[in-house]
Amino acid sequence: MNIIEIGGLTKKFGDFAAVDNMSLTLKEGEIFGFLGANGAGKSTTISMIASLLRPTKGEIKFLGKNIAKHAHFAKMNIGIVPQDLAIYEDMTAFENVKFFAGLYGFRGSELKARVEEALSFVGLGDKQKELPKNFSGGMKRRLNIACAIAHRPKLIIMDEPTVGIDPHSRNYILQSVKELNRMGCTILYTSHYMEEVEEICTRIAIVDHGKIIADGTKEQLKAIITDSKEIWIDVKSVEGLNQERLKEIRGVLSVRIEEQRLKIQSRAEIANLNDIVQQLIRDGMEIRAVEEQAPNLETVFLTLTGRNLRD
Amino acid sequence: MELWLLGSKSVLLLFIGYMLYGTPHDESFRPAYMLVLLTYTCLSFGIPPLRRIRHASLALSALSAALGVYGALELHPLFLLLAVPNLYEAASGLGAANWQSAVAMAAAALLLPAGDRPLYALAAALCFMLYVSTCRLHARLALREEERDKLQDDARRLTRALADNEEYARQSEYTIKLEERGRLSQQIHDEIGHSMAGALIQMEAARRLLDTNRAKAEELLGNAIVISKEGLERIRLTLKQSKPPAEQLGIGRLQLFVDELSAKHDIRATLNYAGDLDTITQLQWRIIQANVTEAVTNSLKYGGAESIAVEVLVLNKFVKAVVRDDGRGADKVVKGLGIVGMEERAASEGGTIIVDGSRGFSVTTLLPVRAGS
Repeated sequence: MNIIEIGGLTKKFGDFAAVDNMSLTLKEGEIFGFLGANGAGKSTTISMIASLLRPTKGEIKFLGKNIAKHAHFAKMNIGIVPQDLAIYEDMTAFENVKFFAGLYGFRGSELKARVEEALSFVGLGDKQKELPKNFSGGMKRRLNIACAIAHRPKLIIMDEPTVGIDPHSRNYILQSVKELNRMGCTILYTSHYMEEVEEICTRIAIVDHGKIIADGTKEQLKAIITDSKEIWIDVKSVEGLNQERLKEIRGVLSVRIEEQRLKIQSRAEIANLNDIVQQLIRDGMEIRAVEEQAPNLETVFLTLTGRNLRD
Repeated sequence: MELWLLGSKSVLLLFIGYMLYGTPHDESFRPAYMLVLLTYTCLSFGIPPLRRIRHASLALSALSAALGVYGALELHPLFLLLAVPNLYEAASGLGAANWQSAVAMAAAALLLPAGDRPLYALAAALCFMLYVSTCRLHARLALREEERDKLQDDARRLTRALADNEEYARQSEYTIKLEERGRLSQQIHDEIGHSMAGALIQMEAARRLLDTNRAKAEELLGNAIVISKEGLERIRLTLKQSKPPAEQLGIGRLQLFVDELSAKHDIRATLNYAGDLDTITQLQWRIIQANVTEAVTNSLKYGGAESIAVEVLVLNKFVKAVVRDDGRGADKVVKGLGIVGMEERAASEGGTIIVDGSRGFSVTTLLPVRAGS
C-alpha cells in the first residue's frame, strides 16, 4: 500500500519554484532516500508532507487521505526529525521527549513508557536526567530522533539527520534507521551524503532544482549511466594470455590490453571477478593488482545534473 | 576648426575692445576703432560660410589680416593682434608649413613698438598652438572619415559577396536536390520500372491465354507475381538506402547550427557528443534541436557569455543534451515561456529538463532511451 502519494506538487516563493511539479509515491515499509544537493528542494518537500508548509499547487495523500483535509490524522502518524536540532537545551533528555510526546496527547504511565522506550532506542536510556547542553553533537542528534519517534509514527521523515556528527554517532543513527524500518516504520530519508543513502535506502529519488530527475533502486539508478563495469587487472606479463577463454566467462563483454594492464568490460550485475581471476591464474598470469570500476550514485548524480552532490 | 578660429577671433576682439574702450584714449579715434572692429567682424565671420569657395575665403582672410595691419599702423598697435589668426588662416589656405607661418608671425612683430611686442608674442603663440592643434584634429578627422568611407565600401562589398554566396548556396542546394531527384527517378525507372513492365506484359499475356491455354496462363501469372514481389522488395531497398539515418541527420543539423552560431555571433560555440547516437529517435532529435535552439537563444539574449558548449550524451537509459554558457547565470531561475516550452517538449517524450544558473547558465534536457530504438 502507498503511504505517501504526491501529485503535481509545487511550492513557489514569489516567482521562484523551490519544488516544481513533483510527483512521487512511497510504499509502506520502504526506506526512501531523497538524494540531492543543498537547495534542491528536499526540505521544502518534506515540510509540505509534514503540513508545515502549504503547497502552491498539487496534492499530498497520506495513507490515501488528503493531508490538507486530514492534517490531524497525518500529524499523528508522521514523525519528523528536522535538519536543525529541535530540542530544549535547558530541559533534561527525558523532559524533552516527554514534551514532544505529550503534544500527541499521551499522558501518565503510557507517556512515561513511550519516552523511556524512545530514549532507550536511541541509546540515551542512561542519560535521561542529563541536560542536552552537556551532550555531544551526535547525542543531540539522537535525542532529536527520540523526540520524533516517541509517538510511534507510521512514517518517519528524517531531514539530514547526520549533518555534522562523528562517524560513531552516524553509524549508530544509520543502524537505528534500519531498526525502525524493521519494526515496521516507513522512512523518508533526505541527505546529500551519497554513501548513507546507498547504504540504507531501498529506493532512491534524485532531486535537483525542485524536480525528481530519476528514481528507483540503487542498481536501477546506476544502470541509467551504464549496465557495464570495468575490471582493471595489473599482471607481470601478458604473454600467454588467452583472451578468448576470458571472453567465454559469463558477463564478460570485451577484453583489451593497455600497457600491461588488462581492461575487462563486463555486465555490472554479474559477479564474475572470481572466475576471471581463476582463469588468469590457470593461464599462468602473475596478478599484481585488481581494480573494479562501477558507477556509484555520485557518478549518476554528476552525469545527470552536471553537478556534484556537495556543490 | 572654424569654430575654434571664430572663438579665438572673438576673444581677441573682446580683448582689443576692452583695451581701447575700457582705458583712457584719444576720443577722436573712437569711431575709427569701431569701424575697424566692425569691418573685421564682418570680414572674418564671413569666411566660414564661404569656405567651399577657396579663393573667396582666402581673399577674406587676407583682407582681414590687412585690416589688422592697417589698424596697427594707422590707429593703434593692438589691432595687429587681429591679423594673427587671419594670417594663420591665409597661410594654411596657401599650403604653407607651420614653421613658415610662425616665422611670418615673428616678422610681423617688428611692425610693433617694443612695448607691445610681449603682448603680441603671447597672442601669436596662443593662436599658433590653437592653430596647430586644430590642424592636427582636422587631419585626424579627415583620416577617420577616409577610414569610415573605406569601411563602408568594404561592408557594401561584403554584403554583396554574402548575398552572392547565399544565392550560390541556394542554387547548389537546389541543384543537389534536382540531382537527387534525378538519381531516384533513374533508379526507380531502371530497377523498378522494368520489373513492373515485365510483370504487366506477363499479366497481359496471361489474360489472352486464359481461355485457350489455362496452364500457360497460370504459369505467366506466377511469373508476374514473382516479378512484382521482386519489384516491391527493390522499392523497399531503394527507399531504405535513400533515407539518411536519424543520427546523421540529427547530429549533422546540430553541428550546422553550432557552426552558424560561431560564424554569425561573437561567441565561441562547440559541440561534443558521445555514446550510441543510433538510439536517439527522430522525435527525440527534434526535441533536442528545439531545446538547444531555445537555450542558445536565451544565452545570447541574457547570458552575456563568451562561449557556449553543446553536448549530446547517450547514456544507458537516458539521452542527455546540455547547453552551457559561461555568462552571468542567475541566482534563482524564474521560468519564462521559453523554459516552460522546453519542459513541455521534454515531458511529451517522458523526459525532463534541469535549468541551473549557478555557474554560468545551463539547460539540460533528459529524455529516456526508448526500448528497441
